[in-house]
Amino acid sequence: MKFKLENTDENLDGEIVKSVGNNEFVLKIQGRERDLKVITMTHDKVEFMLDSVYHTTKYIENSTSRITLVIDGVKLSFNKRPEMDKIVYKNSGADSAIDSQLNLKSQIPGRVVSINVATGDSIKKGDVVCVLESMKMQISIKSHKDGVVKSMKLKQGASVAKNDVLAEIE
Amino acid sequence: MHSEKIKNFLHKRRQAEQSGGEERVQGQHDKGKLTARERIDLLLDEGSFNEIDAMTTHHYYEFDMQNKKFFGDGVVTGYGTIHGKQVFLYAYDFTVLGGTLSEMGAKKITKVMEHATNVGSPIIGIIDSGGARIQEGILSLDGFASIFYHNQLASGVVPQITISVGPSAGGAVYSPAMTDFVIMADKIATMFVTGPEVVKTVLGEDVSFDELGGAMSHGKNSGVAHFVAKNEYQCMDIVKTLLSYLPQNSTEEPPIVETGDDPNRMDNNLINIIPENPLQPYDMKEIIHSVVDNHVFFEIHELFAPNVIVGFARLHGKTIGIVANQPMVLAGALDIDSSNKASRFIRFCDCYGIPIITLVDTPGYMPGTQQEHAGIIRHGSKLLYSYCEATVPKITLIIGKAYGGAYIAMSSKNLGTDMNYAWPTAQIAVLGSEAAVRIMNRKELDTAKDPAALKKQLVDNFTEKFANPYVAASYGTVDSVIDPAQTRPALIRALDALANKRERRIPRKHGNINL
Amino acid sequence: MNDMIKKILIANRGEIAIRVIKTCNALGIKSVAVYSDEDVNSKHVKMASEAYHIGQASPSQSYLNMEKIAETAVSSGADAIHPGYGFLSENADFADLCEKKGLNFIGPSGNSMRLCGDKMECKDAMIKAKVPTVPGSPGIVEEVEKALDIAHTIGYPVLLKSVFGGGGRGIRLVHDEKELREAFEIASGESKAAFGKSALFVEKFLPKIRHIEFQLARDKHGNAVHIFERECSIQRRHQKLIEMSPSPVVDQKIRDEIGELAVKAAVAVDYLNAGTAEFLRLDDGTFYFIEINARLQVEHPVTELVSGLDLVKLQIDIANGKEIPFKQKDLKVNGCSIECRINAEDTFLDFAPSTGKIYDVNIPSGPGVRVDTYLYPGCTVSPYYDSLMGKLITWGQNFEEARQRMTLALSDFYIEGVETAIPLYKTILESKEFIEGDLSTDFLDRFKILDRLRDDMKKEASGKSEAALAATLIHSEFLKHKIRSHKEHSVRWKTQVDRH
Repeated sequence: MKFKLENTDENLDGEIVKSVGNNEFVLKIQGRERDLKVITMTHDKVEFMLDSVYHTTKYIENSTSRITLVIDGVKLSFNKRPEMDKIVYKNSGADSAIDSQLNLKSQIPGRVVSINVATGDSIKKGDVVCVLESMKMQISIKSHKDGVVKSMKLKQGASVAKNDVLAEIE
Repeated sequence: MHSEKIKNFLHKRRQAEQSGGEERVQGQHDKGKLTARERIDLLLDEGSFNEIDAMTTHHYYEFDMQNKKFFGDGVVTGYGTIHGKQVFLYAYDFTVLGGTLSEMGAKKITKVMEHATNVGSPIIGIIDSGGARIQEGILSLDGFASIFYHNQLASGVVPQITISVGPSAGGAVYSPAMTDFVIMADKIATMFVTGPEVVKTVLGEDVSFDELGGAMSHGKNSGVAHFVAKNEYQCMDIVKTLLSYLPQNSTEEPPIVETGDDPNRMDNNLINIIPENPLQPYDMKEIIHSVVDNHVFFEIHELFAPNVIVGFARLHGKTIGIVANQPMVLAGALDIDSSNKASRFIRFCDCYGIPIITLVDTPGYMPGTQQEHAGIIRHGSKLLYSYCEATVPKITLIIGKAYGGAYIAMSSKNLGTDMNYAWPTAQIAVLGSEAAVRIMNRKELDTAKDPAALKKQLVDNFTEKFANPYVAASYGTVDSVIDPAQTRPALIRALDALANKRERRIPRKHGNINL
Repeated sequence: MNDMIKKILIANRGEIAIRVIKTCNALGIKSVAVYSDEDVNSKHVKMASEAYHIGQASPSQSYLNMEKIAETAVSSGADAIHPGYGFLSENADFADLCEKKGLNFIGPSGNSMRLCGDKMECKDAMIKAKVPTVPGSPGIVEEVEKALDIAHTIGYPVLLKSVFGGGGRGIRLVHDEKELREAFEIASGESKAAFGKSALFVEKFLPKIRHIEFQLARDKHGNAVHIFERECSIQRRHQKLIEMSPSPVVDQKIRDEIGELAVKAAVAVDYLNAGTAEFLRLDDGTFYFIEINARLQVEHPVTELVSGLDLVKLQIDIANGKEIPFKQKDLKVNGCSIECRINAEDTFLDFAPSTGKIYDVNIPSGPGVRVDTYLYPGCTVSPYYDSLMGKLITWGQNFEEARQRMTLALSDFYIEGVETAIPLYKTILESKEFIEGDLSTDFLDRFKILDRLRDDMKKEASGKSEAALAATLIHSEFLKHKIRSHKEHSVRWKTQVDRH
């Protein structure tokens, strides 16, 4: 199976050759056979030995086309279906393309200190939409594109979480 | 030994895997659509797919069909696992004769459906089909009928999910409609009973495929689509997530997943979500997100009838179904579409042993001739019927307003609800104070010297006396008024207590829900 | 001896509260911790002799609530207050309040703080004492138009600073009019929020400057010493990231010379207890006085490690009226120490705050490795307070040993739950420029460190790619393990009696 490492755009090849039972597997990675032995499994972590080198993994996200994990402290994402992407995204654009057209999301958690635009305003990319306060710092959140403010999802003094939609900009 | 026979077998197998041929596969890809086998590969666990009936062909001879034989005959069927759980599936193959349904195709589909109901595993259908195969005429129509029949046989026995990633027209659309959940891929899927060309001819109406029956249209307007997916990847993700909440069949308990979220987690901020002014709306989803495990709420029918919210979540690892009013839309009032949406969801939960938690903040039913003439009475009664019919553990939490008929309909005590909780902000009454006073004290107000002041006084009295949860608590129709911060622990404890609930009903063939 | 301090209330939280408690324990002094709703489960609360709840999460209702804290001190029987850094540590009104309530405030007097806190007045005092200061705007700027005028005159880029700012906050670098307008509004807001008032001034931005500060101590008897310099040039947004002692560009002669200026500055403001005199050093070697920080600084550990002193103990001794037990000539720099601030920030989102639950922590240790932190597995990093989670400090007999120990310790430091700049520090510590000591406050921009970090991270990801692929391949096995087997349930299906 083909994989693409999103961090570096490298293409890799791997598959499970066989399961030897007892949580041991034979894998084939980049054409070479490797032995894998699972040591422990919890509800989100796996520790294993790959050819007698110890590794620990935490799975962050897994969807049909992508998996994100932290291995030995390093965060990595794989595209599991690089060959299918151009077919699947033909009609819809890349995964978050539709979203980012409309929604201005918050990159950080924080409290709304001021709201600087109103519904109906015409704004340019880079204009300050609102100011959030977090960890004693005030961070201005800027618009990701030119457009008209379709709706605001903000309340003065409210708390927002990372990735919350702040406003819709058409 | 037998090398000729083996060679022949391998050749035939390779042919079968090629569906309608390289050219047609390329055509499918050019349209931005995957082939049936590619879709199955995305859906199922790696290497778990076992195809059956790969070498079926049609046996028709009219219209020169004998020269157009393809292995598989337009449908790929088989079984495999999704995250380790057994499922049976069928996927229409658009590259073979446009994925049209033939007599043999229908036989293949009903075969896997029968397997599924014998074994007790979910059925997944991937629809990408030109509809009936005109050449086969009545055989094709009868084929659809037998599929529908099996949909009914399976309904309430095993979960049935439809993934719509292409056209589906005419009679064909009724199979998806009979399944439990329909996921449509935006810009790729369409469903309609009568296509745009016929619509133009008969009615003179000019409408595009997407407008008439596209994913967004069915997601927002008709409610046929429970989910609108951005693309085919997301369709598969939705199915996998959905299945993770459900049992394999109706005799099994839904799966319990370790979520790591403290069952005693309190939230002192919950009470601040409700504005002081009862006329001001708030987002019910904020409350839901706070209470459920890991703040994960899997919403169903998100775009349809948004004045009510339905979906799955987990509490202490157990699957629950949530039904809630949404004060941000129509002030949380109930109407025809929301009654339908909630009822179907409640009945699904009841089929599969999923406890139902209802969060209430509604001012009543939408008034007006549009609703009355369209039958709010009939449709509204479905909600009442479904709650009464459900024997799964039912818990209700009244958060804000709960007036009149809507109070009753939103899983009130005497509809057979097991636990009824209320926040101190709950207002349970026949009518809102203003309306009540206007009716009850009409005479006094008409003859008063200062009607405005009198009205205010009467309204305040009424509010203090009735618009609270304590009257209901004194009668036991609210079992407990709870501290909002403790909502999550309270719900989890109630669920634990009700886990082994069993209700006895008088045996009958089935009730007569007002459809 | 009866009026020696016996019980100290620490008016702070997080790692500094823990630091003070440790010295209290060493001296047999009781410690009193205070905490807000948010800090109920914090380590400092668990470690203190006593702990009292003082209010809601927001700082203004807890850690900045002077009345409540003083009241708690009195009722708990504390005879002294240690303010840590930040919060009330440079609040003259609070120092005065403590004095009024008979509480021994471990730090300078309220008036001394006022003088140091008002950067314009302090500058005046320095000019009088003949301590060289930075050229800049003649006074406070209250209107944005005035700021624009000054900026236009002295030429962009300029620094917009808050008169009442501290610890690098309230300082913004702006390159043009638009940025200045925006920054003015925000800096105004921040200053008002943190200190209750907003007064800004404009200074010319000098490139390739080094931030070098001197640790000071002065006792009630007038004895004043400096305890060497610290170089804190590696910053971003004018907040320190990495500090070290000694500075690569300070030899003993310069140390003596500038150290003397620093002591002069302390005397000029009648400073008491521990503090820091901050200087800028231009590329040509000129030193300019910036300000005096009237508190114990975050980076005090590097001084402790090269001097062998416990600065918190020194503070308490001075507060007890003792004389500083050594003379300037007794102090000698021993080895080299480097500190990296471990902040909960996302390097690639312009260091935006990262908050949340810490699922796991692995704290490095070994020869010459010290960690001051409030982290423990299961704790929470709160959005209500600043992003400093802890400090990683190393000591070595020379710069190279300290640097090497730091790079190894950084690799061992594992924090799961928030983003940190640990990868960035690794890149900086291994860069040629850092090893050569070519430091300046624009280090990150000058050497495009973030780009190098991206390359380093790509290399790291590449190095782990095969192991990650293996983990991906067995992921489905992992999922099957997660969902409990349903095979046992299928028995029920098979034996199920027909029902409606």
